[in-house]
Amino acid sequence: MAQQANHALPNGFQLEEYTIERQLSLGGFSIVYLAQDLEGRQVAIKEYLPNSLALRGEGETKPQISPDHQAAFRYGMKCFFEEGRALARLSHPNVIRVLNFFRANETVYMVMEYEHGRTLQEFIQKHQGHISERFMRGLFTRMLNGLREVHSNKLLHLDLKPSNVYMRTDNSPVLIDFGAARQTLASDQPMLKPMYTPGFASPEHYGSRKDLGPWSDIYSVGASMYACLAGCAPQAADDRIKKDSLTPAMVRWDGQYSDRLLEIIDWCLNLNHLYRPQSVFALQKALVEEITPPTERKAPGWLNRVVGKIKGAAKR
Amino acid sequence: MRFTIYQESRQGGRANNEDRVAYCYSRDALLMVVADGMGGHFYGEIAAQIAVQTMTDSFQQEAHPNIGDPFRFLQKAMTNAHHAILDYSAKHHLSDSPRTTCVACVIQDSVAYWAHAGDSRLFVLRRGKVFAQTRDHSRVRLLIEEGVISEAQAAVHPERNKIYSCLGGGQTPEIEFSRKTPLEDGDIVLLCSDGLWGVTSGEAMALTLKGANLLQAAPMIMGQAEVKGGPTGDNLSLVAVRWEETYVEPSASSVSTQTMAMGEVTTRLDEFGRNPAAKTDLTEHEIERAIEEIRLAIDKYTPKK
Repeated sequence: MAQQANHALPNGFQLEEYTIERQLSLGGFSIVYLAQDLEGRQVAIKEYLPNSLALRGEGETKPQISPDHQAAFRYGMKCFFEEGRALARLSHPNVIRVLNFFRANETVYMVMEYEHGRTLQEFIQKHQGHISERFMRGLFTRMLNGLREVHSNKLLHLDLKPSNVYMRTDNSPVLIDFGAARQTLASDQPMLKPMYTPGFASPEHYGSRKDLGPWSDIYSVGASMYACLAGCAPQAADDRIKKDSLTPAMVRWDGQYSDRLLEIIDWCLNLNHLYRPQSVFALQKALVEEITPPTERKAPGWLNRVVGKIKGAAKR
Repeated sequence: MRFTIYQESRQGGRANNEDRVAYCYSRDALLMVVADGMGGHFYGEIAAQIAVQTMTDSFQQEAHPNIGDPFRFLQKAMTNAHHAILDYSAKHHLSDSPRTTCVACVIQDSVAYWAHAGDSRLFVLRRGKVFAQTRDHSRVRLLIEEGVISEAQAAVHPERNKIYSCLGGGQTPEIEFSRKTPLEDGDIVLLCSDGLWGVTSGEAMALTLKGANLLQAAPMIMGQAEVKGGPTGDNLSLVAVRWEETYVEPSASSVSTQTMAMGEVTTRLDEFGRNPAAKTDLTEHEIERAIEEIRLAIDKYTPKK
């Protein structure tokens, strides 16, 4: 199985009604291009091209697929259709839109909307540890609107992470890359090859995967929020199961963010999926609650502590 | 670390493939495994799958990014695999435990370490010759060594498939370890099941692979062996790596692990029961239908402007 990377289609290539401007990204499973349609609108085109099964040399258009790999190539195509099917049914401002789907060059292409912006990952890297609470709450509440739409269609995203949350120039989030999304609630479907990102994948991702549910995506949301504060991914869930050395958000950022927000992050990151928010709605509800600003906490003297206790008792 | 690697498993003329192959590598270490589930016993393919899975899982846990003691690692991982197979048969109340051969090789710091149980083989090919190879744990091998029969007689001996060590089964496996073998630039380490070495000699493979592009030559060897095996041929599998020194100009196909993160491990292993070649075959018609369906959904859910 060759390890060479595939050659992308050249800039300016005419792919059906689209003109390719440039390559946006190259993964093991697909290549994403920036292209223009007939009306001059920019779109992102995802080309199915697993480089272990299909090879496209320089200057070639069609990939070479050996007869041995033909069946596996088709099988992967099924997964690609799965992603297309999942996305086509979703119409929500916070979920990437599929505009077209077609066959060409012996493989398949998915055309998606393209907007200017950047991923949350890029944003985190730029603002290392200086992301405000207001921004976090605003961003995640809207992102969760999209995720709610996904879940209400009986789908799970299963690969949520900052690099899969795209932010338009007005900072409204869009969920992208549904390559791992599966119709998990229809149990007759064979489970496909596991796909996950350490640090953001829930503990259920690792085991038999029978416990996957909305709470698994919620773990990833919690991990993404944690990454916003920390500037990097939290400890991977499979390591945490063995030896949990993740400092709870409540401890790590005590006093810098509101207790409620930190509590929510720790809540989402609970290793036991039963102790996490069970639905996106529950999480959203918690996120939009009244914000109590972080209180300055000086170590109170014993006298103040007594006074505080009496005050507290009096209030009750 | 830099190398070119190829792995493949073919069904041959059999009804199902009971061979399993896998490789995985971290920044500083590489593991390759071939397991040949034993026909005649129940669930041969399950035993083989458990073996490669256990080996690759252990590698992922221990290679951070190198392995402390490769021989100890091989010993532990193979013993664990043996017990995992026994656990499986106990759990599923199998009357007889499934069995598999296993050969595994770790390469790190340009030194190869390998271990095997059964008759799956490892060859080190250097400059077109067989430099080293494993000794099968089979009765015919013993007979050859005692001078009772010749190599040629062994090839057609009725008991040539009988082996005295394997993973799974009632007896504790006899795991044989290699010496530490330093590799040179261009050396090929090739692991294979008896479906391949039974019809193609190590010397022939050494000649074919000498100076050739591994990614083209290895599938060719497999193709020829499959033809030689004929309509009733055994399953055949191989994992082969061409070792490259980092100061030599890299070939186009080589994998460099230099930029890998410390804890990162890349694994190639086909999922159990999901041999894609054996299963799905999306027909042209189905593809057209899937695309049509997606297009309809797009139209249906796109808000009209």
